[in-house]
Amino acid sequence: MPRSSVGEDSDMEGSSVGSKSRPWYNQKARGDSDGGYKDSFKQEDLDKPSLLELELNRAGSLGSHLEDGDSKESKTDTEMSSSESSLNISKHTPHRAYWMEQQNRLPLPLMELMENEALEILTKALRSYRSGIGRDHFLTKQLQRYIEGLRRRRNKRLRLLMH
Amino acid sequence: MKLKQGSFLWYLYLDKLYCLLSVRNVKALLEYFHLLDVHRNNTLNDVLFYHFLHHVTSWNRTQIMIVFNMLDWNAMGEIGFDQFYMLVCILLAQQNHLEEQFIFRHSRPVFELLDLDGALRIGAENFHMYNFLFNIKKEDLRELYHDFDITGDRRLNYKEFKLFTIFTMDKYQERQKAEKRKGKRICSKSHINV
Repeated sequence: MPRSSVGEDSDMEGSSVGSKSRPWYNQKARGDSDGGYKDSFKQEDLDKPSLLELELNRAGSLGSHLEDGDSKESKTDTEMSSSESSLNISKHTPHRAYWMEQQNRLPLPLMELMENEALEILTKALRSYRSGIGRDHFLTKQLQRYIEGLRRRRNKRLRLLMH
Repeated sequence: MKLKQGSFLWYLYLDKLYCLLSVRNVKALLEYFHLLDVHRNNTLNDVLFYHFLHHVTSWNRTQIMIVFNMLDWNAMGEIGFDQFYMLVCILLAQQNHLEEQFIFRHSRPVFELLDLDGALRIGAENFHMYNFLFNIKKEDLRELYHDFDITGDRRLNYKEFKLFTIFTMDKYQERQKAEKRKGKRICSKSHINV
């Protein structure tokens, strides 16, 4: 069956996003030819140091500050406090290799946005697959497994964030 | 056409001069493409493509399938990342009112997209069909064929099309300058009133 006919009924299916009764796109012109100024997420955000980088720098500067210490305090006290502090720092500062790996990835808020959107799109596509080629077709099953995997990943990330 | 506010594409924008995405944006777009590539073919089939465009744009089914057929230049029934990237640039150009600049900067790929039958010539019907992509007004189309059809065959070859893009770009820049001058006059008048 030609795939192009798949999804004929998808327009009829209800969808929180695709429904024509709800104006889901912004009618107002979005600004000048500079590309507009994004309210919450800008290109500059991608170029700014990530939160992880800032955390690393902060932890590093905190460590160096403590290493400098106060010359008036006794040496023992200084050693104790700095060793305790470095213990605390090491507890809260993840391994450097982990941070380096994070630098090569896209920012987490961006990944979340993309995954949520992909989930919405693919869930609707799954309905088209089912109506077009049937639930038992291997492509439908593949898509279904993929969606389930994406949902699991998203839920896992949400749980981690909550904790 | 307006992109859905808050969608991933809505957050991207083109470099104003070259009408292309930055490397960071391309990287993000590639990740996004891979998220939609559920069958791991490095492609999107027509169903996935339809639902993607239906989600992020205000185009109807007919328009979406016209775009799909245009981009599926190998007639494989699937769209690869190159075509996807091209489409995203066109969408962003429209979103940010950079159509003239985009056509000027990328006249060759745009010409090849419009030249559906590979005849190295574009007829008026091609432009009509893709009017919603590049926002070329009817009066501009008439002017295009009247002024730039040098060979007189009622179709444009690449050189004629290129001349048209240069002319349109000049008009666009003049409009921008006029708007800037108008803006300055308004500012100075309001300053005087204060």
